[in-house]
Amino acid sequence: MRHAVVAVLLLGVPGAAVAQGNTADQLEQAARYHAALDVERELVLLRRIISPNSPFVVTHDQRVLAYKYLGATLVVLGQRDSGIVYFRAALERDPFVDLEPQKFTPAELDAFGEARRLTFGLGIRAIPFDTIDPRTERLGFTVLTTHAADLRVELRSADAPAGVVLYQGITDGPRELRWDGLIADGHLAATGRYELLLSGVSQLTHRPDSIRLYFSIQQDHAPLEDTMAALRAEDLLPEQHPSTMARAELFKGMGIAAAALLIPRTVANGGLRGGGRSLAVVVAGTASLTGVAGFVFRQRHREIPTNIAANAERRARRATTNAAIRDRNQARLAQTRLIVAPAAGVGP
Amino acid sequence: MARVSGPALAILVAVPALAAGQVSVQGGVLVGRAEHCVVDGGELVASSGTLFGGALAVTIGERFQIQGEALGGGLTTAAAPSLEDHDLAEAQLVGGMHLRPWLTLQSGLSARNYSNALGRQHWTTWRIGAEARVPLGFESVAAVLRGYWMPVVGVSGLSRPDVALAVGVGLDWRGHRMSIGALYSLERYDFAPSNGAQRLEELSTFRVRIGMWWPPTGRAKGST
Repeated sequence: MRHAVVAVLLLGVPGAAVAQGNTADQLEQAARYHAALDVERELVLLRRIISPNSPFVVTHDQRVLAYKYLGATLVVLGQRDSGIVYFRAALERDPFVDLEPQKFTPAELDAFGEARRLTFGLGIRAIPFDTIDPRTERLGFTVLTTHAADLRVELRSADAPAGVVLYQGITDGPRELRWDGLIADGHLAATGRYELLLSGVSQLTHRPDSIRLYFSIQQDHAPLEDTMAALRAEDLLPEQHPSTMARAELFKGMGIAAAALLIPRTVANGGLRGGGRSLAVVVAGTASLTGVAGFVFRQRHREIPTNIAANAERRARRATTNAAIRDRNQARLAQTRLIVAPAAGVGP
Repeated sequence: MARVSGPALAILVAVPALAAGQVSVQGGVLVGRAEHCVVDGGELVASSGTLFGGALAVTIGERFQIQGEALGGGLTTAAAPSLEDHDLAEAQLVGGMHLRPWLTLQSGLSARNYSNALGRQHWTTWRIGAEARVPLGFESVAAVLRGYWMPVVGVSGLSRPDVALAVGVGLDWRGHRMSIGALYSLERYDFAPSNGAQRLEELSTFRVRIGMWWPPTGRAKGST
């Protein structure tokens, strides 16, 4: 007998679950009950959804929706305070939650307004994947306060101590903000991780709150050209003679002098006792003086003017080329587009 | 195969260079001192004197150069006039080709006359050799070393010498428009012994050349 009961239960439970559907179906059913003012059945359905024993997965958004309808149902049933509690639970989980005037009664709307006054929360709508051209487009942010508050909205690089303030002042409800892609120093936001930080103080409860949203930015532009590398030592001609050159000049002068003196002694015929030795001495003396003068000159002037000029030309050519490359890169950077994507991160 | 004459070859080389504006000309004057020594029959006759002359060099492109030179003067043996005193007159035409920036292969003809009241001796030589230019401490100063072998020497009234050499060493400065060169040179001629006597002859000179370039920016290669 006991086994028969268990078997009946095992067969009956799945059937009941199918009949009840999943959470989304249940929420749709609850909304239909609410529209038909069948609040008793709606209340049962919604309590089943928010129950820890619910057999179905309940997402964050579904739970917020369930709290919203539950609050409205309780208001209809005359339990306004309880309804406000559920409205607040919904607002605490999602400050963007709202009651549509065409679906809810004035009493429900009034109770929800009371819940908003009692609950202080800040919200930022999630940023979708987007690509903007900062020259003509702006990136939009939707921020919200559940009631009047002194709000400050700041956008900054994730690792920067300060950023650009997008808004500062008193606000109540949602507010659309637009960002031109520029950071505090006026430059286009570089590729990296950014955060949108909302901090505010309630005008009613004087409670502070803050929230932040992380997102990433990637600059998208045509590939940039590399500038010419700095000239290395091996790319340049030596601009100075080696220090040994002065001595070499002296030796060359002396060598020429020696050659002049040797010619009449070696090449000339000894039998003639001539060879113009006195003439050779003149050349030898001149060569010696030239060698000494060259030694002194090279000691004082080691520079190589032609090489210096050639190096200067190479440097100038490189500078001109790099300037042209920089101009072309600037033109490409001026057409940069920003690819925006949500990023992971947890706010305080 | 048709033979191309020397002047025709020069024209063939010069005309394209002229058209391309690669020709520079250097003209200058020469002043020098010469010592002439001759041993013939055991008697040494030495004479010396001052020479004057002119030079013209044409540089064609980066590789070729033709230079001509003419100089002359009186050579005397002693303070008092003698029968051994004579005049020297010489004309020389040398062509050169630069094998390296510092080395030039040269070849040329020279005609020389020794003359006095008693007679005239005519020399004709063909020389081949090279000239090396060694830059010295200053950008525009170079040492010049020359060496020639003279395989063909014709001397009126004498047989061909067994040894005929010429060497030279000097300095050359080249400015923007001007050039100044000083060169010591020695020519040695050893004739074959005849009847127990050998004729030896040498001519050593020291010349200073002052030249001008045209066009001024052009710099010919080697012309001392």
